[in-house]
Amino acid sequence: MSALDYIVLIGSMLGIAIYGIWRTRGRRDLNAYLRGDGHTPWFAIGLSVMATQASAITFLSTPGQGYLGGLGFVQIYFGLPIALIVIAAVFLPIYRRLNVFTAYEFLGKRFDGKTRLLGAALFLVQRGLGAGLTIYAPAIVLTTVFGWPLNLTIISSGLLVIIYTVAGGSDAVTVTQKYQIGIIFAGMVTAFCLLVARLPTGLTFTDTFALAGGFQKLKAVNFSTDVHERYTFWSGLIGGTFLMLSYFGTDQSQVQRYISGASLCEGRLGLMFNAVCKIPMQFCILLLGVLIFVFYQFETPPLFFNSTSSQYLAEHNAGQKLRAYEADFNSAHAQTRQQLEDWLNARHRGDQTAATAAFAAASTSHQRGEKIREEAAKTLLTANPGTTANDADYVFITFILHHLPHGVIGLLVAAFFAAALSSKAAELNALGSSTTIDFYRHLIKHDATDANCVVASKCFTAFWGLVAIGFALYAHLVENLIQAVNILGSIFYGVMLGLFVVAFFVRRVGGTAVFWAALAAQTLVFVLYFNLTISYLWYPLIGCATCVLLSLVLQVVLGGNGETSKARAI
Amino acid sequence: MKRPAATESSARETEDTGLPFFCSWKSVYLFVMGSFVLWVALLIALTKIFS
Repeated sequence: MSALDYIVLIGSMLGIAIYGIWRTRGRRDLNAYLRGDGHTPWFAIGLSVMATQASAITFLSTPGQGYLGGLGFVQIYFGLPIALIVIAAVFLPIYRRLNVFTAYEFLGKRFDGKTRLLGAALFLVQRGLGAGLTIYAPAIVLTTVFGWPLNLTIISSGLLVIIYTVAGGSDAVTVTQKYQIGIIFAGMVTAFCLLVARLPTGLTFTDTFALAGGFQKLKAVNFSTDVHERYTFWSGLIGGTFLMLSYFGTDQSQVQRYISGASLCEGRLGLMFNAVCKIPMQFCILLLGVLIFVFYQFETPPLFFNSTSSQYLAEHNAGQKLRAYEADFNSAHAQTRQQLEDWLNARHRGDQTAATAAFAAASTSHQRGEKIREEAAKTLLTANPGTTANDADYVFITFILHHLPHGVIGLLVAAFFAAALSSKAAELNALGSSTTIDFYRHLIKHDATDANCVVASKCFTAFWGLVAIGFALYAHLVENLIQAVNILGSIFYGVMLGLFVVAFFVRRVGGTAVFWAALAAQTLVFVLYFNLTISYLWYPLIGCATCVLLSLVLQVVLGGNGETSKARAI
Repeated sequence: MKRPAATESSARETEDTGLPFFCSWKSVYLFVMGSFVLWVALLIALTKIFS
């Protein structure tokens, strides 16, 4: 990175944080600190909901998913519009009517104190762990590429977000997210345009799509009913609906964003904005990865996008082997490139037979190259069993660093940090709010004044920020980063959603039945996760269904109708 | 039967979308589902045409 890149990066990050602190200075009232000033318009809510979900991992890792696996990952979002409609129509009006600070406060009003604490505890455990990953993931990728000290990057970005979130509360999060998402969009659009401009001259729009499609990168929808396949239309539509319903409907980091709207209408419009825009946005990010794949068919890609993999092999008596792999890989790639140029010429001449033959040959050469890569990855794993050969997270940043001009590099790194800070701030804000409202005020200090709660909320926000930094400092890379975050959510979200489904729709069940049902369902999900190989997208459905069914059975066993005056009041 | 004024006001808040072309939330939800179906159809077409 050049001096210009650093000026863009540091200037934008510090500028937004300082602006957030200045705009929200002097917030002393608990309501304003936790839910904002009550004037947030739908557009700000929509961007805030989007920025909270889209972490740095989304922008770093998703293009890599597109590069390696094509567009299929988009199916995970098929359940999102349905889930957001259910939340806008059912969840949000109740949250607003009950005037709650946290989603778990609603569980207390509907059931009892222990169920509220269980919901809040499930949230704190999974979001607390997730917050560490949110901060660790971009740091590990960026420090690997730029050679920055990992711990310093984690600590400095973590402290920055703690300072402005503690200072300004919910409003600071919303205000800063507006500008952060502006930087993210500016960076991604610039990268997309520059990438398209760098594709070989003579490669038309249809050529590009034909090439990507020929390598199975445009297989966006898969109707397979095999539950072991990770991304299918059905797992996305059914499992994805439950995953999104639980994330947007019961995760305080999201609930806090849309209950802060000026009115019910503004909150609903903010959610609908996401319901319409999210699939096209994810499609564009994945398409960026597919275009990078096309680009690298005409430019030599590295054997490993994660340069530390090559360095490790070189430094551990496998240098000769590595050079042999690289030579073979480059030869296979040169062959692929030549055959693709032949394909392009034949295609433009209108010689279909020659084009088909050239593409088949290019496909064979490409497969040979991929086999060499797999062999090299195996060698790496044998040499260092603790490492990961997953390259997806490094594809986009490698492209940026080697093929984009200075200034733009700074803008894109700023976009990754903006995404990291925006989702992190919302998470810390939610963790602080839930700990204050659901534990401190509910369990420890019933007579706490608003001023006490604001101070407590600031302390808890800072505490969770430090926990996240601590976790990030000791975290190890697991699989692909974006998948790791989704898998973690899938394990906990189903049961949490089950609690809320019973609360909203099954009036006959009381607090004791649903409490034990939730504990049993969470245990079952853990057991299944460690023993089955089905797609993780099914776990929210399994957890939710088990919790609902068991609570009905337990209610019958416990006897009587669990409907209370609380349930009737809601 | 005429409902009490408070309920009417609350119902108006629940139903008012504030959007020029959508009078009710039902129409907004239908529009969202329509755009979703359109996107899925486009993705299926992309899959069929180029794979």
